[in-house]
Amino acid sequence: MSGAPEQEVLLEICGLSKNFGGVVAVSDVTMDLRAGIVTTLVGPNGAGKTTLFNLITGHLGRTAGTVRWLGRDIGGMKPYRVARLGIGRTFQDLRLFGGMSVEENILTVMEPGALPFSGPRMAQKRARAAEVMERTGLAGKRHERAADLAYAERKFLSLARIMAAGARLWLLDEPASGLDPNSYEIFLRLLREEVAAGVTVCIIEHNLDIVVGISDRIAFLDRGRLLADGDPKSVLEDAALSAIYFGDRT
Amino acid sequence: MEAYLLNLGVLIAIYAILAITLNFIMGYAGIFSLAHAVFFGIGAYVAAVVSMHVSASIFVTMPAAMLAAAVLSLALALPALRVRGEYFVAASLGLQMFAVTVFSEWKSFTGGLGGLVGIPAVKIFGQEVYRPASFFPIALAVLAAVVAITQILVRSSFGRSLTAIRDSESAAEGFGKNVPLIKTISVVISAALAATAGVLYAGYMSFINVESFTLDNSVLIMAMVIIGGTGTSWGPVVGAALLLLLPGLLSYLSFLPQADIGAIQQIIYGLGMAALMIFRPGGLVRRGSPQRKARPKAAPTRAKRGAVQ
Ligand SMILES: Nc1ncnc2c1ncn2[C@@H]1O[C@H](COP(=O)(O)OP(=O)(O)OP(=O)(O)O)[C@@H](O)[C@H]1O
Ligand SMILES: [Mg+2]
Repeated sequence: MSGAPEQEVLLEICGLSKNFGGVVAVSDVTMDLRAGIVTTLVGPNGAGKTTLFNLITGHLGRTAGTVRWLGRDIGGMKPYRVARLGIGRTFQDLRLFGGMSVEENILTVMEPGALPFSGPRMAQKRARAAEVMERTGLAGKRHERAADLAYAERKFLSLARIMAAGARLWLLDEPASGLDPNSYEIFLRLLREEVAAGVTVCIIEHNLDIVVGISDRIAFLDRGRLLADGDPKSVLEDAALSAIYFGDRT
Repeated sequence: MEAYLLNLGVLIAIYAILAITLNFIMGYAGIFSLAHAVFFGIGAYVAAVVSMHVSASIFVTMPAAMLAAAVLSLALALPALRVRGEYFVAASLGLQMFAVTVFSEWKSFTGGLGGLVGIPAVKIFGQEVYRPASFFPIALAVLAAVVAITQILVRSSFGRSLTAIRDSESAAEGFGKNVPLIKTISVVISAALAATAGVLYAGYMSFINVESFTLDNSVLIMAMVIIGGTGTSWGPVVGAALLLLLPGLLSYLSFLPQADIGAIQQIIYGLGMAALMIFRPGGLVRRGSPQRKARPKAAPTRAKRGAVQ
């Protein structure tokens, strides 16, 4: 899975910036995401990781810079349009559809159309939902309300949604935080399977041990700026970056 | 006595339609509208004018009224649904005030404050439907149709989209849903179906004026939804029946001083609402969707900092 340079560029970010009043959340970030490469975004609290995701998906408007998807400018596009291009995401705070059942949460992401009875045939959707629930260990919770699930189940439902949505690029915002070791193993296995099946992943993750295990590449963000972007070893061994990462925490 | 019950039955059916159609946007899409009586009114006025000047056939008045309400609801939906929820409530309140002014001032169409009198009885296949005896089945049939349409929609992909938007708008967008468009469609459907209640009302009463389409009525419809159970299939019907039966039931309690019945009714409403909030905050009817007792969630604390070691 090592990043051969000729891999197709899916997403191209150039000079991307976002200010919130006086706060510079993302500052002049330039990077690209290539097909099949697992990129991990690391950085201390408030580094701008989530904001970067929001700028890509259109949930936030950028202050400056461009975002291209397969060469096409998607900056300023509405989130639903970005999603329909094949860019999926999870949310740090999950944002499940709390009042809906587990199955409904999964069905509804397969039905983006506004017209009643749009989307694939019901039998087809149910089959896909069943498969996704099976793989995420939610099969027994099919009719449970999302809001009533336990913490780890909620994290898996968040993953199940993005699996069912069929996006080509996944932006995962701390999908593994707070998982117990067992759930964590299941999560890693799922991720590997999906990557093997052709999904491109960009993941925000704090646990550096795991980061090394799954990443082909690490991008290090601090105070909105991209300080490093390269193979995991070289980034993690960089003493200056370690100082920033662990410095404000002890 | 029979006429009294039939009359009550017709009114309950009409208000049940209004409550169901408001619940459609309130309970499923999370859109709170204080203008529902406006679409009731538009349906009634259009049906009245059409039946007085064109045809009293329900197959003419009904589509005309629904179309008018649908088109006019766009005036509310298009600008207001692009902004956050609270603004929609404010915008709907504004529309309600504006509509009352129009209903009471536009004399050539609405008859002004005096309203429209002598509205012909509803005709079906050329047959006049006599009031109230043969009207009750008609009202029930329209109610059944509205129930069927909303239930089918709510259980379809459209209903899931509405609920998804209600639960997390940003996540719904993140999964490709055109949120303003879906909300707009839901408001248009709700308004068009609410207009059917207006058609029934105009044809049944033979007299309408602005009194029936004021903010008070919009609030009453909302109370029916909340008391019955927001987001449930049958809650709005229960809420409508309860709130319309209550005054009649009170007048049967002969030990109550009949002169003060209005005040007593208000007190009972108040106490009832308070009791409801305490014992059944979701309304009288429970949600039909999977409903388990919420169990304690396993360590919902974000233990993520602990992972960095
Ligand atoms: N909607 C907003 N309005 C104002 N400021 C914001 C907003 N969203 C983020 N910020 C600020 O932007 C900066 C970057 O926040 P962001 O959430 O992107 O950080 P993060 O790297 O995801 O942090 P964490 O690891 O805590 O999730 C922070 O200073 C934050 O307070
Ligand atoms: Mg974040």
